[in-house]
Amino acid sequence: MRTLSSLLRRKVVTESGHSLGRCHDLRGELIGSKLHITGLCVGQGGWLEHLGIHSHDAHQTIPWSAVTRIEGKQIVVRNDAINGPLRSW
Amino acid sequence: MSKFLGLALGILAAIGGFVDIGDLVFNVSAGATFGYQLLWVVVVGVVGIIVYSEMCGRVAAVSGKAVFDAIRERVGFTPALGALLASEVVNLMTLAAEVGGVAISLQLLSGLPYRWLILLAIVGLAVIVWVTSFEWLERIFGYGGLCLLVFAVAAVKLDPAWGKVGKGFLPHLAQNNKLLYAYFAIGLLGAALTPYEVYFYSSGGIEDEWSPKELGLNRANAIIGYGLGGFLSFALMITGGALFLGHGISPEHLGTIALGAENPLGKTGLLLALVGILFAVGGASIDTVFSGAYNLAQFCGWEWGRYRHPRGAPRFTLTWLVLLVLALAIVMTGVDPVILTEYAVIFSVVALPLTYIPILLVANDKTYMGRYRNGRLANTLGLFYLVVIMVVALSAVPLMVLTNVGQN
Amino acid sequence: MEIDIALQVLDHQLLDKNGRRCGNVDDLAIEGGPGELPEVVAILAGPGYWPQRAGLIGKLAGWIGGGRRVRVDWSEVAKIDAAVELKRAATELGLGRGDDRLRPYLDKIPGAGR
Repeated sequence: MRTLSSLLRRKVVTESGHSLGRCHDLRGELIGSKLHITGLCVGQGGWLEHLGIHSHDAHQTIPWSAVTRIEGKQIVVRNDAINGPLRSW
Repeated sequence: MSKFLGLALGILAAIGGFVDIGDLVFNVSAGATFGYQLLWVVVVGVVGIIVYSEMCGRVAAVSGKAVFDAIRERVGFTPALGALLASEVVNLMTLAAEVGGVAISLQLLSGLPYRWLILLAIVGLAVIVWVTSFEWLERIFGYGGLCLLVFAVAAVKLDPAWGKVGKGFLPHLAQNNKLLYAYFAIGLLGAALTPYEVYFYSSGGIEDEWSPKELGLNRANAIIGYGLGGFLSFALMITGGALFLGHGISPEHLGTIALGAENPLGKTGLLLALVGILFAVGGASIDTVFSGAYNLAQFCGWEWGRYRHPRGAPRFTLTWLVLLVLALAIVMTGVDPVILTEYAVIFSVVALPLTYIPILLVANDKTYMGRYRNGRLANTLGLFYLVVIMVVALSAVPLMVLTNVGQN
Repeated sequence: MEIDIALQVLDHQLLDKNGRRCGNVDDLAIEGGPGELPEVVAILAGPGYWPQRAGLIGKLAGWIGGGRRVRVDWSEVAKIDAAVELKRAATELGLGRGDDRLRPYLDKIPGAGR
């Protein structure tokens, strides 16, 4: 069992080591009385983004199925997790 | 028709409630030291509190969330906890200063010993709050505070050099004593931009179940209530300047401040001034203690509300009772309430960004505010005051040290 | 219904079926990891969960707050709106205990139920 707080703000990296930013939120789907987690929202910004200076929609959402493992201080995802170009700051 | 009457009465109460011990100390001292030169700073402060409370009131009306609810949800747990701790410390200092002010006014009115009056003040406040409905509390203290209008009469009767008064409204820098001038400017801004008033006001909006329909009322309350209240601050500074400037009198005691009304208006003036001070500072104590309880309850998710019976919100009730007891302890140490006021105002200004920045963010957030989020005017003013608040917050403590708490 | 969990659930007010405020969502318990579809299984409420949110300052605040921990099964959630609304009363869920324990003492003072 994990907690949401332990997943938030973790670094998100691809299998090949490329950093996608930090996990700012988890996307979920409420089906009946169950809340399933369907994805991760990642963003490159640091504390500014955390304060909400950039709009929430600017984050990329990675489908949970792309997550390969959660280890140490990071979340590892498949190399093809993100489809479009990343916003770079 | 009764809606307008209600608004008018509310505004009267707001005017009477605008002045607290920080305003009394800093406005009269600023007048005594710099004459009318700092009047423009009061204007900046009054517009600032209008902007700040309108934003918080709008957040409350549209999102249904009070300040610390919104801050915790939007900006995150850790920043909110930091803001809470800082706010509670500043709040307690302010409360102790206000309670000390109540005790001093009681002493000046009755001649009874100060220490006993501190206890009387605390017990009296607790009993009055426990027993009286909130509407009556607002009326009693608000209308009582209107006695401070005696300072407006005094200011006119002292026949100051009105040309100089007028010039004081134009922004300008000091010729000499620049550091002290800056210190007073910061103190005046801190005395006007009181966070506890904003927390209290927005929590009250939630309790009154404001919705977007009340946005006009919110704006009117903020602009007219605080605007006219600012007028009392002008009166205090003008009186201080007309009477004390150049005579080496520094109003270090509330009694000296009240003399500002006695000189032109005799014993009646003195009595009205003391009664006005008593009610204004007493009302401020209540706003401050509730604000401390609101913030903690909202952060922790407890039931809260001044309209609720104490048994409806037990931990909230215990919080304001404990805050009063802590204030009692602080004032009983014998610390001079006027000195405590100066420290409270300065520290309040240092902590101000911690709650102002999150509120500015929430007021701009589409998910919370929808189409009521900050427009261009609100953001222009909001950002202007963000700069003012940051500059003031960063320079407050250095200036306090450099000017030896305004003693120079 | 799609939701952003940290934005719309975490740190939000908890309301019981009677609209009573009974805490905040201090954390969420999640079961399932990579490869499976994880789900949020419980709401975690109470100062006992503050240390894991805010490090040292959270530890201090959690200690002052009494360190209580309450776990509310996700199945108890009725609705996610401005607040998180629960299906049952706070007392049945172990929430709002601080208020319930304090109330009898306040009731001893005349005027508490005004």
